[in-house]
Amino acid sequence: MSAAKTPAAKRTIGQLIKRLLLLDLFKGLMVTFKYNARALYEPRDGGNPNQAIYTEQYPLEAARVSERFRGAPRLNLDPENGSTLCIACDLCALACPVDCIEVGSIRREVREGEKVNKKKVLTTFIFDTSRCMFCNLCSEACPTDCLELTQSFELAVYHRAGFRWDREMLEKGINYVRYAK
Amino acid sequence: MEAIIANLMFVAPNWVRDYITHEKQPNVFWSEYVVWPLAQIIVVLFIVLTLVAYLVYLERKVSAFMQARLGPMRVGPWGLLQPLADGIKLLLKEDIIPLKADRAVFIIAPIVSVVAALVVLAVIPWGAAWATIANVNIGLLLILAVSSVGVLGLVLAGWGSNSKYSLLGALRSSAQMVSYEIGMGLSLIGALMFARTLSMSGIIDAQRADGLWYIFVQPLGFLIYAVSALGETNRAPFDLPEAESELVAGYHTEYSGFRWALFFMAEYSAMIVTSAVAVTVFLGGWMLPGVTGTPLLGIGPIGNPTLHTFASIIVFAGKIMLLIYAYMWFRWTWPRYRYDQLMELGWKWMIPAGLANIVLTGIWYVLAMPASQGGWLGLMREVNRRLIPSWPGGVLYFIGTAFIITIPIVWGLLVTINRRSRDFNLHDQRQLQMQLRRERLEKMLQEQPRPAETGVE
Repeated sequence: MSAAKTPAAKRTIGQLIKRLLLLDLFKGLMVTFKYNARALYEPRDGGNPNQAIYTEQYPLEAARVSERFRGAPRLNLDPENGSTLCIACDLCALACPVDCIEVGSIRREVREGEKVNKKKVLTTFIFDTSRCMFCNLCSEACPTDCLELTQSFELAVYHRAGFRWDREMLEKGINYVRYAK
Repeated sequence: MEAIIANLMFVAPNWVRDYITHEKQPNVFWSEYVVWPLAQIIVVLFIVLTLVAYLVYLERKVSAFMQARLGPMRVGPWGLLQPLADGIKLLLKEDIIPLKADRAVFIIAPIVSVVAALVVLAVIPWGAAWATIANVNIGLLLILAVSSVGVLGLVLAGWGSNSKYSLLGALRSSAQMVSYEIGMGLSLIGALMFARTLSMSGIIDAQRADGLWYIFVQPLGFLIYAVSALGETNRAPFDLPEAESELVAGYHTEYSGFRWALFFMAEYSAMIVTSAVAVTVFLGGWMLPGVTGTPLLGIGPIGNPTLHTFASIIVFAGKIMLLIYAYMWFRWTWPRYRYDQLMELGWKWMIPAGLANIVLTGIWYVLAMPASQGGWLGLMREVNRRLIPSWPGGVLYFIGTAFIITIPIVWGLLVTINRRSRDFNLHDQRQLQMQLRRERLEKMLQEQPRPAETGVE
């Protein structure tokens, strides 16, 4: 190792000028001023890292979550006729590592066009969100893309019984929060 | 009698006098000494205290915007009622006096602090003509004297609290404020040489007569004043007395509720006062060419005297707000100084620079005096027993000397003085220590054989 030079000897002329005119101080000032000015004129878009203000006013505005976020479960309906897509195959319940899904079904005759088929039909669907660990295995097991974990994350309830979501809640969703935007 | 009153106080405008007395021969004593000053005091106190409350809000907003946050948003639209909520909270809070505290001192301290900060509002020229409470002919001296009494409040608070954090904060603040007081006083003297008066309104009138703001002839003085004012008001980057990462809250650690609010009020009114002094002495006070004071490009000042005074108040307030924004801007941009650096900046940079500025300004001033008074260049003429720089020669001479000659000379002087002083750079210091340690280790290794090396490379 060579002997360390004194700090003054290491300084180049550019650094000297920078030091004399206190340029670094003004650079810092410009950074904060830019943020301040942008905060005044930029339209607010909470949670956008490119924006001057990052704050999401969460209870007033919807909070952003990642695209891959897995939250509240939902049973999708057929968009054409509004009937459930679930065929009561029980694969989700089998896939669930914590056994939080209970699928209830009966076999009965269903008229499809001109034929009458005997089919398994969904009656109840219990999803215990307090035990769910949001691993998405049920959704991946679903052959009809019926069960899905949505991006809604507001699952808090006032009573433990509220964690047991029945078929109606799963199909309609718990839509109790209204956001301005 | 009228002349004395006009000298001592700014007389009420005629419409106020008529309204108060309803007489042909107005009772001068009653209207000029009692009613009008009282009205002024009430208005100024109300505005300043409201402003102080909203400066807290502004500071929170500015800091939030600089840090990509929103700041207070929930109390009222955009959080505009936040100061009201804060005030109510502080009033209703339990008033705690520590058991081991010195009760009397503990109670007096915030009062001393806030009184010292509010008294000086009386001599600040808030606007033209009647918009000043008292035009004392030693106004600037009074401001400097009374605002240094504010230190006493801090010291009393630190001592009376009987707490180590408070005491350390008070120690720091007294040392800091005493040292920055000197730089502050020295920085003003250069401008006073031109103004030839200590009256606050007189300084503004002098700038109007000279036709230029003193920041142009005293750029260095303004710079020193700005830095010293930051130190004097204990604002970041010099907020050592209340450095929360080291001293909890410094001198007001033990204070709560409204007593704490009084300290806060004192800090923010001190900000207003130091900004007002800077505006008065360096930035032309309530003058804005073309609007108030002097004409600009043929657009004269506002003709109606009442309207002119109101406009001048707005101009003065606007200039103050710009400086206060700068205060906040600095606070939320720059990190805090270390204590030894703070003292070094005060004593080794600000005070020598202030002294050098006085000497150089004096030299330029004497050189430019008319030949009849012993000067060489004759770039000034005498008006009303004051020397006024001639236009454009004298003005350009003073601006040129200030910017081109004074600043480099003073800078060179400061660099020479501080050549041997220890470097601020902690990294370099650490490098030096590491080098010394390396040398010591190598010496040790030479004396005794190196032990067998083990382990994986």
